[in-house]
Amino acid sequence: MNARRPRRSSLRWFSPRPARTLARAAIAAIALTLLSGCAEWGFGGSGSANGTVTLVYSLWDTHEQVGYQQSINMFEKMHPDIKVDIEEIPYGSYQQKITAEFITGGAPDLFWVNTPWLGSFVKNGMLTNLTPLIQASHINMAQYYPQLVALHSVGPKIYGLPKDWDTIALYYNKAYFARLHLAIPANLSWNANGTGSFVTFLKAATTDKSGHNALSPQFNPNQVATYALGVSNDPQSGWGNYTAQAGGKIIPYPYAPVASLTSPQVNVGMSFLTGTLTNAHVIVPGALSGPNANGNNLEQMFSQGQVAMWENGDWNTLAVKTSVTFPVGVATLPIGPVGRVSVFNGLIDGLNSHTKYPKQAWELEQWLGSPQSQAILGSGGYVWPAIRSLDPLFLKYWAKNGIDMSAFLTEAHGQVVNFPVSPGVGDALTEVVNDLGPAWLGTEPTHQALKTAQTDANYILRTS
Amino acid sequence: MASVASVTPAARSASAATTGESRPGLGKGIRLAVFYLLLLVILLVFVTPYLFSAFAAFKTLPEILAQSPARPPTNPTWDNFKTIFTQYDFGRYLLNTLIVTVILTAGQVTFSMMGAYAFARMEFPGRDSLFWMYLATLMVPNVVTMVPLYVMFAHSGLLNTYWAIFLPYVLGVPASVFLMRQYFMTIPKEVMEAARLDGCSESRILWRIVVPISRPIIITATLLAVVFGWNNFLWPLIVTNSNALQVLPVATANLNSNFNSQWNLVLAGSLVALIPMVILFAIFQKYIVRSISLTGINR
Amino acid sequence: MSVAAATTVIGKHRTTAVASNPDRRRRVRTAFLFLTPSLIGVVLFLVIPVIFVMVLSLTRWNLLTPIQWVGFSNYANIFRFDGFGHSLLVTAYYVVLNIPVQTVLALGLALLLNSQRRGSAFIRVICVLPFLATPVAMGVVWNWFFSPTGMINQFLAHLGITGPAWLSDQATAMPVIAFANIWQYAGYNMLFFLAGLQAIPLSLYEAASIDGATKIQQFRRVTLPLLRPALMFVLVTGVIGSFQVFDTVYVMTAGGPGNATKVANLNIYNTAFAGFRIGEASAMSVVLFLIILVVAIAQFTYFNRRTTYEIA
Repeated sequence: MNARRPRRSSLRWFSPRPARTLARAAIAAIALTLLSGCAEWGFGGSGSANGTVTLVYSLWDTHEQVGYQQSINMFEKMHPDIKVDIEEIPYGSYQQKITAEFITGGAPDLFWVNTPWLGSFVKNGMLTNLTPLIQASHINMAQYYPQLVALHSVGPKIYGLPKDWDTIALYYNKAYFARLHLAIPANLSWNANGTGSFVTFLKAATTDKSGHNALSPQFNPNQVATYALGVSNDPQSGWGNYTAQAGGKIIPYPYAPVASLTSPQVNVGMSFLTGTLTNAHVIVPGALSGPNANGNNLEQMFSQGQVAMWENGDWNTLAVKTSVTFPVGVATLPIGPVGRVSVFNGLIDGLNSHTKYPKQAWELEQWLGSPQSQAILGSGGYVWPAIRSLDPLFLKYWAKNGIDMSAFLTEAHGQVVNFPVSPGVGDALTEVVNDLGPAWLGTEPTHQALKTAQTDANYILRTS
Repeated sequence: MASVASVTPAARSASAATTGESRPGLGKGIRLAVFYLLLLVILLVFVTPYLFSAFAAFKTLPEILAQSPARPPTNPTWDNFKTIFTQYDFGRYLLNTLIVTVILTAGQVTFSMMGAYAFARMEFPGRDSLFWMYLATLMVPNVVTMVPLYVMFAHSGLLNTYWAIFLPYVLGVPASVFLMRQYFMTIPKEVMEAARLDGCSESRILWRIVVPISRPIIITATLLAVVFGWNNFLWPLIVTNSNALQVLPVATANLNSNFNSQWNLVLAGSLVALIPMVILFAIFQKYIVRSISLTGINR
Repeated sequence: MSVAAATTVIGKHRTTAVASNPDRRRRVRTAFLFLTPSLIGVVLFLVIPVIFVMVLSLTRWNLLTPIQWVGFSNYANIFRFDGFGHSLLVTAYYVVLNIPVQTVLALGLALLLNSQRRGSAFIRVICVLPFLATPVAMGVVWNWFFSPTGMINQFLAHLGITGPAWLSDQATAMPVIAFANIWQYAGYNMLFFLAGLQAIPLSLYEAASIDGATKIQQFRRVTLPLLRPALMFVLVTGVIGSFQVFDTVYVMTAGGPGNATKVANLNIYNTAFAGFRIGEASAMSVVLFLIILVVAIAQFTYFNRRTTYEIA
């Protein structure tokens, strides 16, 4: 083949020298990027301009964000040289996103931390130990729930000022119970062998399509119209409460590298749900409650009157209020072999250990842990404040809106067990829930499912 | 890789179907009808997804849900595009993709071409073994390198920058080198030798002689690089995490997960990613086909 | 340039002996200069990572805490605890669904469109259109098409059939993913077969028909054997690519329903970049690499033993 003269083409700019074209295009591209800013080329993004520092604060709850914005507006008024940008990250990818941002060096200055990943964040060195700062600022830690302080501490170090708490109770359909002329007794209890006033009550509260309740001999378990109780395959809002009431623990102690799911107490608590209550047909069967019995369908079933009492955390109150047409009450959980125990949890604002603005970030952290800020969030009905004396504000808001939330408060002042803390516990519990699915569906004995769950959880806890 | 080069059949070959005996007229008519029917089916299958999503991008969500996808929009609206460009920053993502693709292509084609020429027509010790090494790395799947590269970039502080997105590809890739080397090997050695005797430097030979007559393969390599760079998803997904740095594939996936069943937005976003490549192809298609038919196939 | 030539070229190229002189040294230096960028690229971004990933597979690490060395335990654990065995099976299922259909379709398209009839050229170009699509963006379009109330089910409803919930049904999810990829690459692979077809001289067909061979016999005895290099190229690249499928799965099913479409690459991605378990993800990468290598070598050996010699 001989060399040919370059052909003319209608696309003049792109011929005859492809190399020149490429070079021109590359130069154009680089020019374009200069328009878009230097941060993307790795020259650190600026967070301060003419004396004002901008902090990035991330969270995941769209509704609570409204309350937080009000609180932050006040903060910005009090600190004219600090601006706060709220960044919402979807809950499902929150832990992953913050961790990835930490690896790339661009994590927010302050970010919500939930207990499933608190242990990992601590171990990874992502959070600042606030103890010296707290001492220097003379913050009174006794104003918070002591369980929250313990939850977020490792020995003398604490990684966030407690700002809210939540626990689990029973939302119930007042209209349904009125129709049945059934009052909910104050202290229902259950025993390890499956007897007790709780089971009897649940039977009385379960009705089939012909109107017979589960105590009646004509009760048809294949034609249940309303189940008395809906509990999910969930360590916080579901079975975790019953295993705790039986004296069992998910992990033996905070930051443990193993789980303790095969203890007899955990088995008792779990089997009470998957065995006793399921066999009595008073609890929503695993197959109906959602994939892996995760309870995703329970909220809808509750609003449609197919479940009389829905066990879940107080963060669902707004959803319940907007989706149901009947009056709603809240009852305390029953009393188990070791007492009435509920799973207790709370969030903190983690202070990025590599923040560029430690002073300003600490100001924000202090503010969000302060009575003034928590009063805004409590009185707006967003969340129970971690400062004990402010609880009445939240109670009052919901009382005005038609729901009596005192059951949650009763439990919070009673026996509670903290959500487990350990590196990797969030992922471990996801596996545990998967492994327990067959037990809830009745296709595997509970103790066996717990054994599998234990093996999988141990692996994750050990290697996280 | 013959790639686009073979879009036009050379005269010397023919489909197996037309060799041999003559056929009765009716049979021929039926075969012709079947042939064009098949062509129609192919046209429909390959074009419909583009077409229907283009229709939907200009409809409102209720219209999409109520109407058949095959119906063109009765009141075409730009609202969906307005939303994604103003509220969801798609303009920025388009820009990001453009920047990254252009740089990646410019570097990849240029440097691959230089390497290809060296392998094809220059002599130096170790040439064959080095070429074997290039070939061997062709077998390395992307999935193997993604984790270690991420770690390497993390430790260089390059994560979440434009560099991270194009760097692994911009210095040239074995596939491109191989493609162009094969083509350069068909240029008679005498051409180079003559130029060398005339005192030309290798650089001049490459840029002034080889490149102009290799336009078809360079165009091919460029188009392949552009398509790759524009559509690359997994690597940018891993290596960027701030919203400002998203490229179109990543932005499309995020739009899809955030606005799952809002087809109007999600399909508008997809269209922004899909259309530029189609336009590029439409512009260059004639050019490619025309210039490719020059090469002929030497057999 | 024919694909047949492309694959038999190594080893035929001889370096001519040149007398050593300053001019030659200069040229050697220029050669290395030309080679340096791509060489750096290959070494830095391909060779070193391959070695590095094998080293990483012996660790337990999440990039934020100190590295721990755990020997080969990751290789056992990924099968025991991370469901990697299941992922490999799912991936193999995908390859089996995808490659045969795609190859046959590509060959069929090439045979059909290797014609001078009016419209063939236009349709040949149309066939390349899907190749240009961003897989993720097209995946979104397929989500729409295959949604329970989407176009496919609407069309089936006209025929009186209730379509399944394609992407939420364990039986149909993977076939839909395979369909998406077949749609995307059949036309692209057709190009290689076209090139191969065009490289077959007419004289062979003439000789065969003079010998009395029917068209089908001509196809089996002339076309197919001479298409082997193209076939090998399409199959090898197709299989290597299919083992790494990610984009369409990520956006269409994210591994679901259940784990029905949790292909190997997705598992590696989740393990490394959602779970930050670098050691396990690296072990998975190495295992997948070995599998791909073994399969590719098996294909090479099979084809080399049976490739027809070049004509002319």
